[in-house]
Amino acid sequence: MKRPEYDPAAPQEAARLPVAGPATVKSYLKTLFRRHRAAFGWLTAVNAIAALSGMVGPWLLGTVVEKLSVGEHDVNLPYVVLGFLVALAVQTVFVRITRLRGAVLGEEMLADLREDFLVRSVALPPGVLERAGTGDLLSRITTDVDRLSHAMRDAVPQLTIAVVWAGLLIGALVVTAPELAVAIVIAAPILIIGGRWYFRRAPSAYRSEAAGYAAVASALAETVDAGRTVESHRLGARRIKLGDTRIGQWVAWERYTLFLRMILFPVINMTHAVALAAVLMVGGALSIQGWITVGALTTGALYIQMLVEPVNMMIRWYDELQVAQVSLARLVGVREIEAAANGDEDEPEGRTVLADEVRFGYLEGRDVLHGVTLTVEPGARVALVGPSGAGKSTLGRLLAGIYSPRAGDVTLGGAALGKMSAEQVRTHVALVNQEHHVFVGTMRDNLLLARPGATDAELWDALRSVDAHAWVAGFEHGLDTEVGSGGTTLTPAQAQQVALARLVLADPHTLVLDEATSLMDPRAARNLERSLAGVLEGRTVVAIAHRLHTAHDADVIAVVEDGRIVELGGHDDLVDANGPYAALWHSWHGDR
Amino acid sequence: MSLRLVPFADPGVPDTRSGLRLILWLEHQQLRGQLAAVGWGLLYFGGIAASPVAVGLAVQAVIDKSWSRLMLAGGLLLVFGAAKSAADSYFHRAVVTNWISTASRLQQLLFRKASELGSLLTRRIAAGEVVAVSSGDVEKIGWFVEVLGRFAAALLTCFTVVVGLLFYEPQLGLVVAVAVPVLAFSILPLMGPAERRADAQRAKGGRATELAADTVAGLRVLRGIGGEQLFLDRYRAASQEYRASAVHSARMWSLIAALQVLFFGLFLVVVVWLGVRLVVAGRISVGELVTTYGFITFMLVPLHTFEETASAFIFSKVSARRAARVLSLQRMDETRGTGAAQVPEGDLVDPVSGLEVPAGSFTAVVCGNPDAGGRLADHLGGHSPEAEPGDASAMLDGVALDDLPLESARTAVLVQDKDPVLLSGTVRELFDVPSSGAVTVERALEAAQCADILDVLRQSLPAGGPDDPMDAVLTERGRSLSGGQRQRVALARSLYVDPAVLVLDEPTSAVDAHTEARIADGLRALRAGRTTVVFTSSPLMLDRADRVVFVPDGRVAAVGVHHELVHTDRHYRAVVTREDEPTFEESA
Repeated sequence: MKRPEYDPAAPQEAARLPVAGPATVKSYLKTLFRRHRAAFGWLTAVNAIAALSGMVGPWLLGTVVEKLSVGEHDVNLPYVVLGFLVALAVQTVFVRITRLRGAVLGEEMLADLREDFLVRSVALPPGVLERAGTGDLLSRITTDVDRLSHAMRDAVPQLTIAVVWAGLLIGALVVTAPELAVAIVIAAPILIIGGRWYFRRAPSAYRSEAAGYAAVASALAETVDAGRTVESHRLGARRIKLGDTRIGQWVAWERYTLFLRMILFPVINMTHAVALAAVLMVGGALSIQGWITVGALTTGALYIQMLVEPVNMMIRWYDELQVAQVSLARLVGVREIEAAANGDEDEPEGRTVLADEVRFGYLEGRDVLHGVTLTVEPGARVALVGPSGAGKSTLGRLLAGIYSPRAGDVTLGGAALGKMSAEQVRTHVALVNQEHHVFVGTMRDNLLLARPGATDAELWDALRSVDAHAWVAGFEHGLDTEVGSGGTTLTPAQAQQVALARLVLADPHTLVLDEATSLMDPRAARNLERSLAGVLEGRTVVAIAHRLHTAHDADVIAVVEDGRIVELGGHDDLVDANGPYAALWHSWHGDR
Repeated sequence: MSLRLVPFADPGVPDTRSGLRLILWLEHQQLRGQLAAVGWGLLYFGGIAASPVAVGLAVQAVIDKSWSRLMLAGGLLLVFGAAKSAADSYFHRAVVTNWISTASRLQQLLFRKASELGSLLTRRIAAGEVVAVSSGDVEKIGWFVEVLGRFAAALLTCFTVVVGLLFYEPQLGLVVAVAVPVLAFSILPLMGPAERRADAQRAKGGRATELAADTVAGLRVLRGIGGEQLFLDRYRAASQEYRASAVHSARMWSLIAALQVLFFGLFLVVVVWLGVRLVVAGRISVGELVTTYGFITFMLVPLHTFEETASAFIFSKVSARRAARVLSLQRMDETRGTGAAQVPEGDLVDPVSGLEVPAGSFTAVVCGNPDAGGRLADHLGGHSPEAEPGDASAMLDGVALDDLPLESARTAVLVQDKDPVLLSGTVRELFDVPSSGAVTVERALEAAQCADILDVLRQSLPAGGPDDPMDAVLTERGRSLSGGQRQRVALARSLYVDPAVLVLDEPTSAVDAHTEARIADGLRALRAGRTTVVFTSSPLMLDRADRVVFVPDGRVAAVGVHHELVHTDRHYRAVVTREDEPTFEESA
């Protein structure tokens, strides 16, 4: 059977953030192992005791069989039963400890991994985040961490247990009767050849299968979420067809992995059967010849049968580990992004922001800005207007120090903004966009992030200056009210006010507003503009304006078209100049 | 039952009166597959149970120094091994097929239900509930349906072994007959507490993931304003709490595992003790003692199946109930759509607000209140999700839209709401919507000013592949695009559909002024001769409309063209330009 052609796990988009190479993954794993070396040691030790105590039973039975086989009926049964019971008690206790130690180790490694990842993520340069978006990071912290949790929680401890267990069993077999180990030599090649065949195909197939199943659920979730659109555009039949297609694609992979197991299962089963038959045949022959005892033969046969479980465990968890490697590479990949700036930047002198002959593009050889020069004096209001895709937002991000120009300079008080760290830039400039993220947590957490250590009085002052103190005070728990998903839902206007209050607390002297109010509800717009006015008071403002009345109030309007500033001046000047800005203004104002 | 039949041509009509009935119905659909599972299962269990016989035979042969019987035992071992090996594969295939078939059938039913209910679904039940059914419950229900086949096979095998032992050696048989049910149910009392701990662990895990996702989602804010350490510390605390609760849960599971070892070990000790005495008494041979020991270890397999059946039942009860609830939802307004399946064309009239839209006109509607605007827009399309029984329907060419079948009403009038969803997939798939065929995708994209978006999409394509932006992939809800970009693409899609009547609710609210002006021109040109209604308060759009209707309080207050109304109607001017705007108190 061939692999299905459609692979739901194949990337549909260019990877936005790097995925680690094998070397990085390996060195990370080494560090992780070293950090938990003691726990691995413990797990191995207690597991060895559990496994050894489990081998006492077959050994005792062997001695009994030995005595009975030669017709000796005095087998000291009470002592044998006592031996069984003592071994059982030890085994019970140590199985408990082994399972628990395994879980503790797995959980600790998992916690390390997810926390390490977030530590790295929150240190990413803002430029990387702007370009890559947060979607890729989000899928790594949710999907990939989830996939790894199976590996860390189960696969790593179980494999450790299985390897120790199998090793001890083989050791015990050799101790009982070295000749019986021949059985393993006979049976092992079947498993090795079959296993190699299987493991070459299985991990990627399981990944595709899981992706296929996730695609079914996500297509359905989207159909539910887009209920209105599905109905108004009469997409119902198409969504049903899509569902059937996704199910078909998933089932194709299920059939393929089923086929892989249809090969693997007989391999495993036959390995066990051959091993057992070999022990009994070889051992039986030797025993009839009198070279080994019947007791040793019985014990050996039981040990070989016991080997079934650890071998199955190894096969079962090994591919989980391989699947997890891909997720691990995605998590560790974030480490490969270099922190953009070093600490030794110049201190700015003054607050003038200057763009001088700036050229910039997202792709090599494709500039978005073609030599833009703009001076923003301290305290000035500058509006950038122009059609979508002209480069307004890009220019705004350069002025906010998020991107560095490819050629030319963007400076704040003479110091290059692009060379400053994010921590340094944000004490001077802040970018305000449509993203009014309300974090899960209390109102206080949502404000404190802008000025850790601020007192409640300072927080209330900030809320007052954006006109938000009344509704926050109206909450039963005030600043301790839980907001964000799961807590009290804030209206978009309130979320916007929270964002503005953070700006007041962070207190940068220059603000770049990108469509800050464009998604605003018209009913709330007037209130919000009052709130915004409170924030803008006394600061330098560069506004990327969607609505012309924002431009109207600016000191300087820059009309951006095709990556160049085509008009620059005050509102009245530009209206008098009768250029593109004037035409738009007249149309908007209803003049003919 | 073959997997080639999945997805089913027709998933059938489920019995959704209760969770149990749903499971029974699913079980019934899977009857042939279950029979196959039981058949192969018996052979598989038989194969495992038979090996100890061969082992005992071999040991006895060695004791008796019989080469021929040793050879026979070896041969039997290989034969049993081969039989068990084949049966194992086919048993596994039957079981997995049952699971996949059941899961697929449920997913297909969910897709059909979601498509049927459309806009009504999320009004009747939380979207999260439906998603929970699809992403978690289906798996568990499928598991329970599947495990019953294995349960039946295990039960039959156990029964046979116990009866056989009773005849063969009554004392041994009796011990086994008592021990098996005791062992199967011994750990059940611990399953409840273990499940509760697992639930607590899942809740903590959910919380930690939520905080991580939340921190990452707001990362641009954190990097722009600060507070990374605050949120990192908070996540660390949640992550450690999660770890602690996972360990707490593992304590219980490890206890269960240890008790399983203990109980089973005790059972084994009793059997060995009894067996040795029987050998001493000369009732059984040494080989038979070894066989008995092997038999008992074999019993572990069916015992695990019994335990699994019990947990599957506990897990799937709630899931089945929830799935039955979702699948039993019905659309109520279908009964109204009893008119002939026709698609009228002509003037659109709303008797409630008094709004009249002449056929072929480009009419703009100003409401001043977005919620009221949204309701009016919905009402214009008929079958409004918020319709109250007794509301007068909007009329198209004198035909009440509410009385038309849903499909006809939606064909006649396309209402694009404030937040149209871009479904994920390639751009080409996005434009795979029923359309008149008169407008090409290129023209629609051009009219909605999407050129720069296509550029961005082209850059998102994997290097070395095709260079056509139509192959670019939009993520769920078009999240990779900005708000303004999403609006323009959604508008292009509606323009491509080219309905006789197109109602657009604030289609350009997040688009900049330059682009909005161009879109208004493109819209006007593309829709020439077709009926277009735009709900907006933007002067740039209003200025390009044939007629502007002002509907401030649910009733038409003024009709005219923008540059007249803006000079003659003070209230209208206040709503569309934000200068010297009266407060809402004054306007009401």
